[in-house]
Amino acid sequence: MADAQPPPVLVAQGIGHVSRNFLHEVGGVFWFIVNTFQEMLERIQQGRVPFRASSFFRHSQRAGVDSVPLVGLVSFFLGLTMTLLTGYQLQRFGTERLIPGLVAIGFTRELGPLLTGIMVAARIGAAFTAELGTMQVSEEVEAIESMGIGPLRFLVAPRMLALVLLMPCLSTASNIAAIFASSLICKAYFSIAFPYFLDLVKDSLLIRDIVTGIFKSFLFGLLIASIACYRGLTVKGGAAGVGTSTTSSVVTAITAVIGFDTLYNVIYTTFYPT
Amino acid sequence: MTTPTHMVELRDVCMQFEENKVLDGFSLNVEPQERLVIMGQSGSGKSTILRLILGTLRPNSGSIFFKGFEITGLQRRKLQAVRQHMGMVYQYSALLSSRNVRENVALPLEELTDKSRDEIDKIVDEKLELVGMKDSKDLLPEELSGGMRKRVALARALVLEPELMLLDEPSAGLDPVIASVIDELIISLSDTAKVTSITVTHEMDSAFRIGTRMAMLYQGKIIEEAEPEKFKQSKNPVVAQFLSGSTEGPILEGSLDAITKK
Repeated sequence: MADAQPPPVLVAQGIGHVSRNFLHEVGGVFWFIVNTFQEMLERIQQGRVPFRASSFFRHSQRAGVDSVPLVGLVSFFLGLTMTLLTGYQLQRFGTERLIPGLVAIGFTRELGPLLTGIMVAARIGAAFTAELGTMQVSEEVEAIESMGIGPLRFLVAPRMLALVLLMPCLSTASNIAAIFASSLICKAYFSIAFPYFLDLVKDSLLIRDIVTGIFKSFLFGLLIASIACYRGLTVKGGAAGVGTSTTSSVVTAITAVIGFDTLYNVIYTTFYPT
Repeated sequence: MTTPTHMVELRDVCMQFEENKVLDGFSLNVEPQERLVIMGQSGSGKSTILRLILGTLRPNSGSIFFKGFEITGLQRRKLQAVRQHMGMVYQYSALLSSRNVRENVALPLEELTDKSRDEIDKIVDEKLELVGMKDSKDLLPEELSGGMRKRVALARALVLEPELMLLDEPSAGLDPVIASVIDELIISLSDTAKVTSITVTHEMDSAFRIGTRMAMLYQGKIIEEAEPEKFKQSKNPVVAQFLSGSTEGPILEGSLDAITKK
């Protein structure tokens, strides 16, 4: 079946095509963020608020407060699992007192923001894309534009700001849930009492870990909101297009969150080795 | 370059979507306070003309003027300011589905003016009363019929007191009585509020009721332009076929065989 093999030029063309699309999308999202901020600034320069507070609070409620149970529950289960898995390994060497620090650092710096990012991308990113996509195909976005209202500052900015500001709060909720779950397992299986558990967490956790986690959360919030809103406002092809864009938005946002997390860790550990 | 004094002028506008050339050297003047009706086949580019005037689409070439100012390459901020002088009614109304009637109509006032809540309420009530929708202001768009939505869209377009109204198929899909109500509203607006309007439609009755001037768009150009009575008697074979609804004539030439064979 040697004839079925694509010639090298076709492979190169394929790679070129994929790379061009990728760069086009990255550039699209970048300019989308820039234009959103520009529209907001222009509005502020006119002495007006860029969007209504009620709109911001509505999105904050939906993206942030309503996500707490899901984020908390998943983090709680992951905290339980992580404690059990690491605990039994560390117990073999008699170092189970390291568990609280391990879970606390692991979640505060890494798993909390990452897990929250993935869940928010799936829950809220999909909702933002579907909502804006439906508005786009039913000409609502164009109607807003035709009135002389900037759709980016009116539709995107409150969603973006809500997610950026609420992500660190959700990450914190995730950290607390996981550390609490860990404390329960430590007490039940490894005989670490709650006060001692808390002391071990405080001893091992550095401000730097907390700041890193919070910074990542801001970044993930911006990424998820931008990708979701960008995908929503560039929907083409009616109801089917909304479906395709929503799937694409979730996949892209989750990939971007994990990708940026890795990139962040590489840069961070290179310039600030522990 | 001379500055036009028309309300709207499109000069040698070309608009192409990928391979499909929709407007090809299209030129049009709209005078203040007239009610221009643009007729043409579905997909002939009628709605594109309205979007070009609004600036939501940019032409591939050519110039567009609004009250003598060129708006073709205007920056976003300036374009937004220009759009506040225009009101657009979309074919499918395009009401914001998450907002009720009152909120839909109040939106431009809340976002673009410094008016107080009481003032906004007063204007919204006034506009909704004008279109006979005052009793429905707490309803959501999904609870309204097609005709009601159109009337709300009209009220929303009127709320900033525009000088130019752009209407995309205002009476399409409505029963004859409601269609007449909408048409009468458009006529009374130009008579009382001195609003200029450009209506895009292929509904004959509505077009001849509204229009003070008719234009026929065919193959990317205006091929006939006249007052309603003269337009009806046009000798142009495309206009004659379009007005009679006949299958014989230049419009379906070539494609008719393909349709009948299918």
